[in-house]
Amino acid sequence: MRTRTREKYQSANKLAHSKATALLRYVALVAALLFSLAPVYWMLTISLKTEVEQFASPPPWFVFTPTLEHYYDAFVARGFGDYLLTSAIVTVASTACALIIGTLAAYALARFELPWRLNRRLSLWILSTRMFPAIVTAVPLFLMMRDLRLLNTRASLIIVYTGFNLPFVVWMMRGFFADLPRDLEEAALVDGDSRLGALVRVVLPLVTPGLAATAVFCLIVSWNEFLFALVLTQTDAAMTLPVGIAGRVTQYEIKWGVMSAAASVAIIPILVFALSVQKYLVRGLSMGAVKG
Amino acid sequence: MQKSRRFFSALNKRELLLPALFLAPALAVLLALSIYPLIYSITISLQQETVAGITWGLGNFARLFSDNFFLTALGHTFIYAISALVCEFLLGLGLALLLNNQIRGRGVFRASLLIPMMLPSVVVGVVWRLMLNPNFGSINGTLKQIGINTESLTWTASPKLAMLSVIAVDVWQWTPFVFLVLLAGLQAIPQEPYEAALIDGSSRWQTFWHVTLPLLKPSILIVLLLRTMDLLRVFDQIFILTEGGPGFATETISLYIYRTAFRFFDFGYAAAMSFVLLALTNVISAIYIRLIQAEPN
Repeated sequence: MRTRTREKYQSANKLAHSKATALLRYVALVAALLFSLAPVYWMLTISLKTEVEQFASPPPWFVFTPTLEHYYDAFVARGFGDYLLTSAIVTVASTACALIIGTLAAYALARFELPWRLNRRLSLWILSTRMFPAIVTAVPLFLMMRDLRLLNTRASLIIVYTGFNLPFVVWMMRGFFADLPRDLEEAALVDGDSRLGALVRVVLPLVTPGLAATAVFCLIVSWNEFLFALVLTQTDAAMTLPVGIAGRVTQYEIKWGVMSAAASVAIIPILVFALSVQKYLVRGLSMGAVKG
Repeated sequence: MQKSRRFFSALNKRELLLPALFLAPALAVLLALSIYPLIYSITISLQQETVAGITWGLGNFARLFSDNFFLTALGHTFIYAISALVCEFLLGLGLALLLNNQIRGRGVFRASLLIPMMLPSVVVGVVWRLMLNPNFGSINGTLKQIGINTESLTWTASPKLAMLSVIAVDVWQWTPFVFLVLLAGLQAIPQEPYEAALIDGSSRWQTFWHVTLPLLKPSILIVLLLRTMDLLRVFDQIFILTEGGPGFATETISLYIYRTAFRFFDFGYAAAMSFVLLALTNVISAIYIRLIQAEPN
């Protein structure tokens, strides 16, 4: 329907005009692709080049002798293996906590009529906590963690990331619950199920795709997070991969290969995650405001 | 319908117990990790360390007005946010309009555009340090190859080009997001207004101005709101790319707060500055939300 109207619209214009538009369209497409991908590709090549070729002029974009020495150097000889492990533990643990706590709250907000218009008020309040700029809470959280003797521990990051992801989980899951018809739960209740039973056996299986997409977003956010990790962890035992990479950038300016190798590894889970939630991407990045 | 209302309403106290139990953990976590830190931050912003011990007062806030570094950082934040927002919006809108058609290979295109915006910001910093390095970065290397003198093009190391460089990196990373949101908005526009415009014989430009743009306005406002909030708090990429330098050339307000708190350990003053940032983002988001709510539906 849409394309037919558009075709009619185009045929009303001059044919030459539409041809020029089509050409322009593909030129823009290719330019945008090159612009997006070339820098990332360049970093991958640096991580695979010997140091001689890293500094070669003109820069070898395609032809070089690949080597894995920088990957070995970063993850075996240096501490990046530990950072990787810390990143994985913190990411998975905080996502699990945020999902459990947030899904329960989202269900209550989506399905129960609370007094004093609390559904709307609480939802908006929860959303507003996500709007704080990170640096605003980073300063007091650092002091709180210092008082609790939790600085330089993985626990501190798990706690902070859980709080950070929680509003997001509540908003996303509230939307997914609201999209479901209520009859299903009523039927389960009539069949003698408890409300908790109805949630676990009837509702959750139906929102699994939404739950999975929400989980993936939390994983991405926690995996990528930098400021809190920088502030709360400075020792090798608790440092995440982004903080480890950042430390190399500012301290050993010369080790481009190690840095690129670590950064390339940091990208891998993100690529897998992002491609798996393509469909929900716009909805997730806009906190559910756009259902694209 | 009657039954459904009874099922979900909380008419008596027993009925309230379950939702209260469901909500309690989330509210507890948010109180501990958002509200309590905010109160903590207020108290330390009102304290100043002097030789005589800790004194209470508005000293930290008074300092803001005479601190040129703070005012400069505030200015940088606005320059950064406004320039990046305008570029990302215009490029994203242009791309969305151009590609709002059936195009071969659209799935691949979409997937490739996702890559920059999903990258850890630290990796974005690394990627662009490699690209922009004046001596062996691929940008200057490629420019040299086609015969351009790159001696003055030191990018992030140059006081003049550093701000431009960090803005360009943000545009690189986030234009795809603006594009995807606006594309989703464009595809949600029904065909009837276009058919009406066609019958009225309006030109492409008129159709864009009087049909597309008004109908796209809610999406535009939402994406501008989200980008503005992120841009005003920018920290990660600039920290990796320039650490606010050279000198003070790219120091934004988040970086200056970080430096004050974690390099100079002046937590009270850092907290006071962070409230200015918080107030700023609140006022701007309130304006956007007012505009969004003024839209029909």
